[in-house]
Parts: sequence; structure tokens; C-alpha cells
Amino acid sequence: MRETVITQQTIADPKSRYGDSRASTRHFITQRLSGAINIAFLLLLLFLVVRLAGQDRPDMVAVIGNFWIGLPLAVLIGVVAIHMRNGMRDTLEDYVHGATYRLAMLLNTLFCLVLALAGIGAVLRLVFWG
Amino acid sequence: MTMSILHRATGLANYAGMTLFVIWLVAAASGQEALNVVNAVYGSWFGQLVLFGFTWSLVHHMLGGLRHFVWDFAVMMEPGQRERMAWATIIGSVILTLLIWTFFVWMA
Repeated sequence: MRETVITQQTIADPKSRYGDSRASTRHFITQRLSGAINIAFLLLLLFLVVRLAGQDRPDMVAVIGNFWIGLPLAVLIGVVAIHMRNGMRDTLEDYVHGATYRLAMLLNTLFCLVLALAGIGAVLRLVFWG
Repeated sequence: MTMSILHRATGLANYAGMTLFVIWLVAAASGQEALNVVNAVYGSWFGQLVLFGFTWSLVHHMLGGLRHFVWDFAVMMEPGQRERMAWATIIGSVILTLLIWTFFVWMA
């Protein structure tokens, strides 16, 4: 994949087009939307930590195992993972390029995917198997 | 400038911190022994220090995100307004973090 060189002239010219407009707009909207939803995640996280920090397993099962807490938590962990991957992409785009960028992005995607699957899996286990 | 760096830095810290939350959940799902280990580590002075920092990082990043929502409506962008909003973010994040820890940890 060859990358176009973006010069100062390209940026200064309002008629020039560079980058992927569709993907970039989607990235922006995804990040704002997931960010807004993450406020709900933070409130739930605060509730869970305050209620369960240092508690034993039966207490965690009693709270997170509740359908109405566990299922929203599982969904919100997924949203957080998407927000994490997108945010890390912004950072990577600024500092690494070419093959290094693609490798870093691959690792980023894998990390967020594994984290989301582990988190959601753990929550679902508490909900459905106790 | 500083706030942009802080927003990114706290974002990266939250990226790492989210791992701590998932480790806690996975430990709880796997069994009491694993949960005991996690509770001991998170309950130690160093664990509490990291969690305090994580709390501030989350609160700061949330307020920074809200600031971006405000800017999305193309308001509060003038010099002076921006600086006031930057100070409000940083002071607000410290106050909120201290309030959370005071009411839910130190006084609980």
C-alpha cells in the first residue's frame, strides 16, 4: 500500500482532498458517541467499585450476577474497548507510519479485542453460571 | 497545549487501567483464590495509589471529553474562554477525584 505524501501545500489548499473522508467521519462520530456512552460506564464502574472493592466472590456474584447490572456492564465494556482502540489509533497515527503503524494497529486491535472478550466473558460467567 | 497532552496521557493511562478492571472481573469469575490475590494487590498501599491515579485519570479524561463536546458546538473557543475551561477541567478533576475518595474510601 503506497502512502500519499501530504505536503504543506496540500493542507493549505482548501480544494485539496486527502485522507479517507468517510472513514474519518465515521471515526469521529464513533469516538464522540462511545465517549458519551462511557459516562454511563464510569457511573456503573463507580457503583461497582464502591459496592464490591475487596469483597468476596459471593458478593460479586450477587451484584454483577444481577441481570440488570451484568448485561449493561458487558455491553459497556464492549463500547469502552471500541473507544480505546479508536483513541489509540489517533495516537499511533501521530507517531508511527507505514509498516510500523500497521503492526502497531494490529497489536492495538488484538489487545482491545482480547480485553473486551475477557471482560465480557467474565461478566457473562458471573451472570449465567454464578 | 498542556490540556491536549493531558487528555492523551490520561487516555493512555485509562487504556492500561481498563486492564486492571478486567483482571478483577476475570479473577472474580475464575474463583475465590484468584480474587483473594487481586484484592490483596489492589488493597495494598501501592495498589491504592495506582487506583487513586486511575480515578483522577478517568475523571480528567471524562471532563476533557465533555470540553470537546462543548467545542463541537463551536462555542467557548476564544482566548480566555479556552483557558478558563482548561482550568475548570483540571481543578474540577482534582476536586471530583478527592470527593470520590473522601466519601467512598476514606470516610466509608
